Amino acid sequence: MNQPELAPLSEHTMIYQQYRDFCEAARQRHVIFYYVGYFSQHIVGAMADALKLRLEVSGLAGPTRRKLFSSFVEMAQNIIHYSDDALTPPDLDNHEVRHGSVCIGIENDHYYLLCANPIKRELETSLRQTVEPLRTMTLEEIKQAYKEALRSESPVDSKGAGVGFLTMARDASEPLEFEFVPMAGEDRSMFYIKAII
Amino acid sequence: MDDLYIAATPTSPEVDFRFSQNVLSLKGESYPENAAAFYSDVINQVRSWLAACQGQHIVVNVALAYFNSSSTKVLFNLFDAFNQAAMMGNHVTLNWFHDEEDDTILEFGQELHDDFGALDFHDHALSGA
Repeated sequence: MNQPELAPLSEHTMIYQQYRDFCEAARQRHVIFYYVGYFSQHIVGAMADALKLRLEVSGLAGPTRRKLFSSFVEMAQNIIHYSDDALTPPDLDNHEVRHGSVCIGIENDHYYLLCANPIKRELETSLRQTVEPLRTMTLEEIKQAYKEALRSESPVDSKGAGVGFLTMARDASEPLEFEFVPMAGEDRSMFYIKAII
Repeated sequence: MDDLYIAATPTSPEVDFRFSQNVLSLKGESYPENAAAFYSDVINQVRSWLAACQGQHIVVNVALAYFNSSSTKVLFNLFDAFNQAAMMGNHVTLNWFHDEEDDTILEFGQELHDDFGALDFHDHALSGA
């Protein structure tokens, strides 16, 4: 078998340099965790492990660690269930594999979580109607809505409990932020949501 | 009725329901991919067992270090079943274990206490969990 030809040295240097730039940009922005790719339950479990270790050595207070962990799981499982980029058939409600990204970093002395996944553009309205009201609610109102959601039947289009966004809003210290960015040439948008803990 | 045992996984709790001894325990972390699917068989077995319980003393131990939103919703249904059994004349003790710093689980326990008044609810705050 032929050995692959080595790339010229200059190209190697370029790759290392690009990777160094990437790492340096992440470091400067205080990104402590970033993943883009397919999300399955196993992958989320493994990421949860990595995050737990990272948080254990962070010196963060227990309640803050728990809120970060909780928001992470809600976001990651939202990608498993709702991303429009799926490897598995749409009617499956277990062992799903879907594409998205999640990022955790520090900004202005607060941890934040960001996640992104594509959605059908027609879902923008209902997602907006779900998340937007949470932004102006007080913590007490969020907790009250959470209590009511626990006691209600799940919405038919929800595989979870319809309380995932309320859980994120409860754990966040600022209103949730979100946006939809149309994907060029497609009837889909990228859905971004950010929680500051 | 046979006892029900499901070993813990990194994302689902140990289910140790000793129907033969009236002691049912849940322990670990709960964020399975599909909480409704994970718990539906558990809840069905509990319901059919409870249907035959009369004047029993039942002890339920819950030590969940974390549960996600969809587990929370399903657990609520489980405790509803226990509460109904208590209203039918059983004595149901719910031992609710949580880290002393964990306000979320403490508050969920308080809600169970408020909503399911027939349960003999005991809060157990553990230090350094």
